[in-house]
Amino acid sequence: MSGAPLINFDKVWKTYGEGEARVNALAGVDLAIPRGQFVAIMGPSGSGKSTAMNIVGCLDTPTAGTYSFMGVDAGRLDRGRRATLRNLHIGFVFQGYNLLPRTTAVENVELPLIYRGVAHTERRQLAMQALAEVGLIGREHHTPAELSGGQQQRVAIARAIVSRPTLLVADEPTGNLDTARSHEIMDLLTRLNQDLGLTIVMVTHEPDIAAYAGRTVRFLDGHVASDARTAEAAL
Amino acid sequence: MIWETIRLALRSVRRNALRSFLTLLGIVIGVAAVIAMLTIGSGTTQKVKADISKLGSNLLVVRSGRFNGPRSSDTVARPLEEKDAEALSRQLSGARAIAPAAQKQVRAVFGTESLVTGVTGTESAFLEARDWTLASGRVFSESETRSGAGVCLIGETVRQQFFGAGDPVGEAIRVNQMSCQVIGLLEAKGYTGFGQDQDNVVLMPLHAFQRRIAGNRNVDNIYVAADEATPTSILLPRVEGILRDARRVPPDGENDFDIRDMTQIADTMASATATMTGMLGAVAGVSLLVGGIGIMNIMLVSVTERTREIGIRLAIGAHERHILIQFLVEATVLSLLGGIIGILLGLSLAGLAAVTMSIPFAPSPAVILLAVGFSALIGMVFGFFPALRGARLDPIEALRHE
Repeated sequence: MSGAPLINFDKVWKTYGEGEARVNALAGVDLAIPRGQFVAIMGPSGSGKSTAMNIVGCLDTPTAGTYSFMGVDAGRLDRGRRATLRNLHIGFVFQGYNLLPRTTAVENVELPLIYRGVAHTERRQLAMQALAEVGLIGREHHTPAELSGGQQQRVAIARAIVSRPTLLVADEPTGNLDTARSHEIMDLLTRLNQDLGLTIVMVTHEPDIAAYAGRTVRFLDGHVASDARTAEAAL
Repeated sequence: MIWETIRLALRSVRRNALRSFLTLLGIVIGVAAVIAMLTIGSGTTQKVKADISKLGSNLLVVRSGRFNGPRSSDTVARPLEEKDAEALSRQLSGARAIAPAAQKQVRAVFGTESLVTGVTGTESAFLEARDWTLASGRVFSESETRSGAGVCLIGETVRQQFFGAGDPVGEAIRVNQMSCQVIGLLEAKGYTGFGQDQDNVVLMPLHAFQRRIAGNRNVDNIYVAADEATPTSILLPRVEGILRDARRVPPDGENDFDIRDMTQIADTMASATATMTGMLGAVAGVSLLVGGIGIMNIMLVSVTERTREIGIRLAIGAHERHILIQFLVEATVLSLLGGIIGILLGLSLAGLAAVTMSIPFAPSPAVILLAVGFSALIGMVFGFFPALRGARLDPIEALRHE
């Protein structure tokens, strides 16, 4: 399994609608991402990058072709197994943070562990540790409404890494933040990639954000238009 | 995990306190109505049974004439006579006490006080037949009964009217011009369920009553109390046979008397009350159903409102069953809470009714358990569809939901 890439798209198609209204969101995408990479996914709206991200995150399945995650044919798994896969191996960070409202930071971070059946004390301990890693100690009992956007995104990142996932899926993580805050978040993600060896797949519109990643994949009309190793390619 | 879910549900209920309360109200009213109805109903049943058993337990009452049937008025009933009671005393086995009695409402006077009271001419066995005891004094002696002496036993109401709290024994009262020495005081029995004062009575020897008050030799009733070993249903045909013999009713003739089984009447009335209670309870049960629909409605709103939350939970690895359980527990907690408040309210209402209607307060643990179980069940049943709807959401769609 170590030889195989963590993520592998093999001629993946995703089709929506019927007949005349048929749209190919993905049209035979081939893409391999090895463990430990930090990949930025770019492309205009409608290019298929969101669909690709949903498949990467095991939230969606291909219409045709094979999507393997950790060597497993994830596209053929049922809802329940994909949920387990997400819970054990994938962390999510969203543009809009998506924290539970009126729920404290530490309780938000504990959430994935609840579904994993971790006991209360251990859960609290792991959640506090994750909050420490994103630099939010002292804010753990604040609710999202009492935190700034940057702090909320840090809570979301803590929630994504608390279960020590293999993959972090980030959907425009800096989309709602100002420049200074954006760079803080990107520094944090870079550090997680380097320190923990966390594989990160991130969708972004902004070239300077994509520049943090070691590899940039551009989507266009359901195809991979370019795939460049270095940050310069983002421009 | 389940504790976590219950805590979560309680928090969600608390967060939408007003909405939760309004939703609860349906269940509260439903459960309260059921509990109050059933509790008041079983209290009434007990009261009716107790009232009738106050007349005497395992009692047969023989009355003259036919009381049932379409032709009851076209035959002039021959009154009962003392010799009928004597025939029963001689021949009947399985009876604990046999007493002839005749009654009339007359005015009794003591000093300047007067009172209309029910005077009964009878024998000492009457007390035994009617399960009545003396508070003080003594019953009629053999010779007083035979000769029809001017002696009497009075009830508590008569005592209070004439003597207050004082001892009446040895005093003489006037009953319908007849002077009558009080020799005993009857134990108080209270009111019947029909509002009749059972203590407004004067008992005197049958012969005294017939001679001085009624002016005839009639006997209105013969009371026959069955002994421990003999059910009234077995005693009744024996009494019938002896009386037909004694009164020379031809073999093909109808009875010219009527026997009532008080035990049977008590059972009939109690079961009638119970039926009524059941019907009222069922009507109250309908409001529980309405309450359940209220829960379903609010759970659907809750699922829609929290679509995004469901999306987040699904994305980070919650299974369908986690979401299902979360909303099911929430609905159950909601309706169970309503059930508990409803039980307290229902019991308070029943308690209030018990005090004002002077019936026993008879809460039944079975009914309370049933109400708790039923309200939890309502939460689960009516919460299931909304919960399933939440659990089946597509995480991608749910996350996009605003």
